[in-house]
Amino acid sequence: MSNDDFAVRLQAVVARHLEPPGTLHDLRQLTGGANRTTWSFDAAAGGARHQLILQLGGDTEDPVDRIMPHLEPEQDARVMIAASEIGVPAPKVRAILEPADGLGRGYITERVAGETLGAKIVRDEKFAGARAVMAQQCGEILAAIHRLELPKVPFLMRQDAAAHVAAHRQVTDYYGLRLPALDMALKWSADNAPKNARHTVVHGDFRTGNLIVGEDGIRCVLDWELAQSGDPMQDLGWLCIRTWRFGGRAPVGGFGSREDLYASYERASGYPVDPAHVRFWEAFGNVKWVIDCLRLGARGVEEMGIERCAIGRRIEEPLWDFLNLIEGRD
Amino acid sequence: MPRSMPDAPTLLSAAVKYLEDELMPTLDGYHRFKTRVTVNVLNTIRRELEMRGAQAEAERARLAAILGRDGEVEALSAELSERIRSGAIDLDDPMLRAHLRQSVADALAINNPKWIDR
Repeated sequence: MSNDDFAVRLQAVVARHLEPPGTLHDLRQLTGGANRTTWSFDAAAGGARHQLILQLGGDTEDPVDRIMPHLEPEQDARVMIAASEIGVPAPKVRAILEPADGLGRGYITERVAGETLGAKIVRDEKFAGARAVMAQQCGEILAAIHRLELPKVPFLMRQDAAAHVAAHRQVTDYYGLRLPALDMALKWSADNAPKNARHTVVHGDFRTGNLIVGEDGIRCVLDWELAQSGDPMQDLGWLCIRTWRFGGRAPVGGFGSREDLYASYERASGYPVDPAHVRFWEAFGNVKWVIDCLRLGARGVEEMGIERCAIGRRIEEPLWDFLNLIEGRD
Repeated sequence: MPRSMPDAPTLLSAAVKYLEDELMPTLDGYHRFKTRVTVNVLNTIRRELEMRGAQAEAERARLAAILGRDGEVEALSAELSERIRSGAIDLDDPMLRAHLRQSVADALAINNPKWIDR
């Protein structure tokens, strides 16, 4: 499809799903998610100018999609719609693409202004005020996500902690990597997986980098394609792994304290937070990141070039952090 | 084996010096980012060439002590993986833990030396 064809079809989509005429302005592709193409544009519809985002699903079939939680574009649109309905700051979905639209699978959301780059959020002076409230906001937002009704999103893959660990073992085997430190981390995780945890909607990738932040704090939670049904403490632990601190010192996402996160989550959800339980998910979050690096690095050269390949060389960072966490050296 | 001169790490250093000192200042955006990543990759290769030989020899000795037999480092490491996975070795074994820490630290010394200091 040429760029002109693409723009013509997109205008028709806006006219059909929002309002005519759908005239486009400032259409540009953003660098973005690993498996998706993201476009930013403005469109005239119904006498107003709308700031919009188009997300298109990737063409590549990940060989481990059926083992690991992963949503199709129209499914994560449905999760975002359900989340918005109960007050979670998720992107507002304006259209879910249909085959007749001729653009493939994807959806259009409202565009939210703000910063997503982790290094800026954790360092820039202008976000100092935001950083002071973000751990509390994360607790409240996560409590809300974990209140989503599972029957509204019945397509989510259901994995308790043990099943989630086992899936990561399978992916490691698929790629054939034999690394004693990773084998140890996977065995430790299988041996220590929490039992009898609550079972809720889990965002699956709730972290600095996937949050749109303004000087007032968190404005929007992005990247719902790894949403799943599982142990809600997974989201709290993932937010704390060192990789997502982007060089910041504070343990929660590089911006906040665990105490603030837990207290806020407890107040908002009514459920107590056991720090040891979250700590398991932080330790296992590091294992997840090892395997994400492995998957990204393994698909490197053809798909995304040198920076993808280089990600494959990052697997020891979370392994180092994992060893420190289980030995109480963090 | 006859060695070519300059050796590989020196050639890589020369390539990195050109990219960083001369090319990068003329670039911005996409190509500046890609060149930065390329410089990092070349530095990783240089460190691997410089350090991996000695690391592998020490790794082989640690593995032989844990497993109680000698062999090639890859074969010994695969056997340790298997013992960990099957539960044949206690995950709390101090020799195992020390070996894993050292192996990960060695790899970081090649792939991202700053990670441990931070």
